[in-house]
Amino acid sequence: MRGVAIGLAGAGALAVVAWMATAQQPDGAVEGLTFAGEPVTAAEVALGQEIYAQSCASCHGADLEGQPDWRRRLEDGRMPAPPHDETGHTWHHADGQLFTITKQGVGAVVPGYESDMPAFGDSLTDAEIRATLAYIKSTWPERERAFQAEVTAKAEAGR
Amino acid sequence: MTRSSDPARPRRSTFAFPVRRENAALSRRSLLHSAVGALGLLALPFGVQAAEPAPLSPTALAFEGDALLIAGETFTRSGDGGAIQTSDPASNGGGVLALATHPDRPGRVVVGLATGGLAISQDGGRSWERPGGGLPDAPVAAVAVAAAEPDTLYASVQGDGLWQSEDAGQSWTFVMDRPWLAEAERDSLTLASVDLATGMGGIWIYAGTESGLTRVPDCFCRWQDVQPGDAMDALVSGDALPPEAPLPAGEPIRALASAPAAPETLYAALPSGIWASRDAGVVWSRAAEGDAAAVAVHPVDPNHVVAALDGDLRQSRDGGATWTAYAAE
Ligand code: HEC
Repeated sequence: MRGVAIGLAGAGALAVVAWMATAQQPDGAVEGLTFAGEPVTAAEVALGQEIYAQSCASCHGADLEGQPDWRRRLEDGRMPAPPHDETGHTWHHADGQLFTITKQGVGAVVPGYESDMPAFGDSLTDAEIRATLAYIKSTWPERERAFQAEVTAKAEAGR
Repeated sequence: MTRSSDPARPRRSTFAFPVRRENAALSRRSLLHSAVGALGLLALPFGVQAAEPAPLSPTALAFEGDALLIAGETFTRSGDGGAIQTSDPASNGGGVLALATHPDRPGRVVVGLATGGLAISQDGGRSWERPGGGLPDAPVAAVAVAAAEPDTLYASVQGDGLWQSEDAGQSWTFVMDRPWLAEAERDSLTLASVDLATGMGGIWIYAGTESGLTRVPDCFCRWQDVQPGDAMDALVSGDALPPEAPLPAGEPIRALASAPAAPETLYAALPSGIWASRDAGVVWSRAAEGDAAAVAVHPVDPNHVVAALDGDLRQSRDGGATWTAYAAE
């Protein structure tokens, strides 16, 4: 069962990579995908996909589907890992906030907040975090991507 | 007027939540005299009332246009040129725990029922239907209409969590577990959709619980404390943090209202009184002392507030600086 899920996820990812290859700009940038206002390359997305599988999938799901029943608290009062696909709320956060959460944990955006989301600042470089988030963003449908682009643009303007 | 439609007719309490003012029969009686008496509706002989259990003070207040809706064991609508009407949203005499209206949906009233589920009126509270597909059958202690999306409703189901309807109450989905405050999950006693941007593409939902105030963005990522808007910037730059004056700790927040015409103006009803904030809940000050059970703010005038205070209905026209007995217009 698990093998099947991973196989499917793999096939989906291949399709994404194939789509990106065709959508590539001359300079290697993926069309319609930026991170913090800068273009993202297909190589970065591929790297991000690998890192996601190694460092994030155990909690957020191989298919970005999140933990089961993720809207309900765990026994200890903490929240489960939400999906990173369009069924979750990741696409409501600006790029800068996603970066801060991944690097420093949720407490860095909500002071005092206790969560099971690890801070990856010691284990991943800034470039790797950026690549992982770019991969997550590359899986979103048009509507969610456009919504999140606007949220990001507003956050950048407010800086 | 017949006894059955008598708003003052005390009913035996069929619900234990929220528990308020058990020893305040006198105040409750005075509420009836002020609310009903001021409306010139009826004056039951005192002895008749005293012979039956005294009704609870209102559990919820809301404006519907200029009319005031008063809910508790009965539902009462006052205003409309002095007329007053009562109805029974639960159609079983069960009480109402929560009320919500929206200025862009005149006539629509959403109520949370003590006996479970909710009722919705499209005619200002005269008649009711009981939609609510998907909602668990448990008391609904708080309801709100999304300030920026009047067909989006929120309901806090007791012992369960926050539910959302995007079709004016017909169908519901679970969107968020209960807030976690002081080491435990807490039921929301009141909800307010506050039309201020979260930075996440939406606006805030504030909740008052038995242990304080919290809020969640309407994308439902996480419950969090109310922070000054620039708190994170100050942390980063090392500047002095902006001043904060939170609501008193350890008190339940029984009602919250955000002024539709000035959403950063909030009013809260606590056992210590009516509290007001002009900055979306960072700095609070007490606007009236007394045991407050409910509060509502006018849709157009953010300074026009009505509160259930020590069992009386009081109103202020100046944002809580001065108060007089409520009288329908
Ligand atoms: C040990 C489990 C775990 C791992 C591994 C993990 N996360 Fe999380 N993550 C969580 C949990 C739990 C939350 C929800 C936190 C909360 O709200 O309480 C979360 C939340 C997030 C959020 C915020 C989402 C939102 O919309 O609020 C982001 C972004 C995120 N994780 C990114 C990542 C990335 C990127 C990785 C891999 C580099 C990763 N996470 C690995 C558990 C994990």
